[in-house]
Amino acid sequence: MLAELHAGVLLGVAALLATMISAQAVSDVPAESLARADSFAAIGDTAARSAALFTEAAKVLTHPRCMNCHPAGDRPRQGDVRGLHQPPVDRGEDGFGLPALRCPICHQQANFDPGRVPGDPAWHLAPREMGWEGKTVGQICAQIKDPARNGGRSLDDIVHHIGTDHLVGWAWAPGAGRQSAPGTQAQEGALLDEWVKTGAACPN
Amino acid sequence: MTTFNVKINGRGYGPTEVRDELTMNDYLREYLGLTGTKISCGAAQCLSCAVIVDNPDGTSYTSPTCIVAAVRFNGKSIRTVEGHARNGELSVLQKAFIEHFAFQCGYCTAGFLNEAQVLLERLAKKRVPRADLEKTIAEALDGHLCRCTGYIKYHEAVRDVILADPQRYLV
Repeated sequence: MLAELHAGVLLGVAALLATMISAQAVSDVPAESLARADSFAAIGDTAARSAALFTEAAKVLTHPRCMNCHPAGDRPRQGDVRGLHQPPVDRGEDGFGLPALRCPICHQQANFDPGRVPGDPAWHLAPREMGWEGKTVGQICAQIKDPARNGGRSLDDIVHHIGTDHLVGWAWAPGAGRQSAPGTQAQEGALLDEWVKTGAACPN
Repeated sequence: MTTFNVKINGRGYGPTEVRDELTMNDYLREYLGLTGTKISCGAAQCLSCAVIVDNPDGTSYTSPTCIVAAVRFNGKSIRTVEGHARNGELSVLQKAFIEHFAFQCGYCTAGFLNEAQVLLERLAKKRVPRADLEKTIAEALDGHLCRCTGYIKYHEAVRDVILADPQRYLV
């Protein structure tokens, strides 16, 4: 009886350790790769090549690092599993939160890993019209090209924004416990640059 | 290690050399013994650890301390629950909290008190219509968790303080 009890306790401890180890492994999974823009040169049809380039770039756009702050509603999501943000916060009038719970109060200039809090000098939500959550890659593509839903940006502005913006760049340096966006920010910018040069076609 | 200075309840502290990983909550509680600022969830989800930060322009806001590095407060001026009473006399808000039995265990009280104080200071600079008062209080206290008394008593206490001086806080 005692031996069975000991065995049970050992199994329980082993299971707990296994869970902890696998949880740690999840946060240490290497970032997904991103294909180089020139690797699409073999696609002869220009529109098809353009759509393929966007589909590749969308690996980043639909990644939790980007999608969490492009929500469909007024509350951001967090973590690799895209849970609702805790504490419950609201975008507020300017995307920086309500008066009593402004984003930069917790989200400082840089990541603070001991508190597991990500940071950037411009931490805030994307405007409501730029919400991508729940949309297909084709829908996001159409949205990103529409100045009424992309912050009034030209296609070149979009390439520049995603390829160089500091807050966007945080997605590739997200701090402890968060998976990085695929590839690098420069690769993402190059994909979108080639997408624009090939006509900015959208996938179906 | 980083050296930083901070003003707390009007008194300057530092220069102090601390680990970059040290949270402001640990600095207050373990270095200075200011244990009125609580530590609960450790993830900025309950806001029992919130303190008031005073901006140079006279405005103020609350900040959690459990997830923010102490060195991020370098050069700032903050207020904790220990700074509300004057010469041993409780503030109007503190008295109202007691009169309304707003707290039971008291663990969340410092956070609520600081948030309510910031609200009063904000309303004193920009008054709100009486019709918007309930929503204004609710939004200000939103995010602070209380597991004892159910929020309404804090809300009523803050409302009473505001209604007692309508010309100062209301349009």
